[in-house]
Amino acid sequence: MASTFHFTKETPPDSMFSDFQALNKFQNELFSQLVQFAFHFLLEPSKSARLMTQLEEFAQENSIGVGPLRNVFKSLVSLPNSALKKSLSPQQLQEDLQTLGLSEEKSQLVASQFEANLLTLSKGALSQTLMVNQLVDIEWKFGVTASSSELDKVGNTFLQLKLVINTGNGTKNVYLELTLPQFYSFLHEMEKAKASLEYLG
Amino acid sequence: MKINYSDLEILTKLSSKQQMVELCQQAFLFRKKSPAHIPDTLVQSVTQMLGTSALDARQCIHTLSHLLKAAVFQGSTDPQAIFNLFPNGFHKNLRDLLTKTILDNMQAWKAEAIGGQVSLPKLLDFDWRVDTKTSSDAVARMSVPTCILNLEIQESQVNAQQTQGTENVNVELSKETLDTMLDGLGKIRDQLASVAHR
Repeated sequence: MASTFHFTKETPPDSMFSDFQALNKFQNELFSQLVQFAFHFLLEPSKSARLMTQLEEFAQENSIGVGPLRNVFKSLVSLPNSALKKSLSPQQLQEDLQTLGLSEEKSQLVASQFEANLLTLSKGALSQTLMVNQLVDIEWKFGVTASSSELDKVGNTFLQLKLVINTGNGTKNVYLELTLPQFYSFLHEMEKAKASLEYLG
Repeated sequence: MKINYSDLEILTKLSSKQQMVELCQQAFLFRKKSPAHIPDTLVQSVTQMLGTSALDARQCIHTLSHLLKAAVFQGSTDPQAIFNLFPNGFHKNLRDLLTKTILDNMQAWKAEAIGGQVSLPKLLDFDWRVDTKTSSDAVARMSVPTCILNLEIQESQVNAQQTQGTENVNVELSKETLDTMLDGLGKIRDQLASVAHR
């Protein structure tokens, strides 16, 4: 195959071509339903169970085997997915789909869906990017110590923080206490970090 | 627990005011220790200064610690309040000298007591770093800024003989997380400001 693709440098496997040939046989209405399923899945990858039931129902209604449908569907999902990774434009995606043998009308449909969901899709992809010890939640409390076992009257301001950190295998709680000067310097430094992030972002 | 401050009259044997100040500082330092745990070196030097037995010296340091603790707890800078701690008929010159020493050191001792009071693990130091993620397994090319925050936290003391260890915590914050955090910290600052105005 001499044609070049945007989504991969290598020639895609033959099975992919045959999958798209098979997709051509669906009526446009049914095909658009499949595309809807695919984008729902791409937007919420965690809900794969819902996808499975959707596909089973679809197969039953249209009397197709569930197994072959799944394979065909896999190709339909993989293409927008790699387009997202390589940050392809909807036009490039459409070209690739047509080169793979999908009819122009159907390719157009996928590309327009891709364009409509691009923002949410790329946000989702970015949020999936590896984060080490991600900060999940922060709780705080501040107060004034009135008295202690050593001092009858204290009047010392403190700030207590609870950080919830996602360590990868479960969350970890970290408790710490800051004095007032520490708090102001912490706040100041975090504002500097924020300014720096905004400069980059 | 009733402590008999008349043990302290032995301190009249001290030869200089300076010795008294140093002894008081040592006694305050070991205020949380029982008599048996006061370091031998301190007991020895006090034994020499006072010319008494080690047992008496140990008891004297302990009693002095108790007096200082009581004075700092009251926290009063009024000499009369400190006089009231002493029993009637206590050696007058010694009482005046002790009171003066206590008043001179009150600020420092109060600060030390605040610093050492029960608390959650304390923050010792922190550092931050801002990176830009340029590529990942999910997206080939991107530009996402991220902030890494390192917190050095003092662990609670497990063994009285050892100094506390520190725990290092690294967290990664996205721009959104940092914004949320600053929002919360801003609220605290506003509240602190309103408290200060009152």
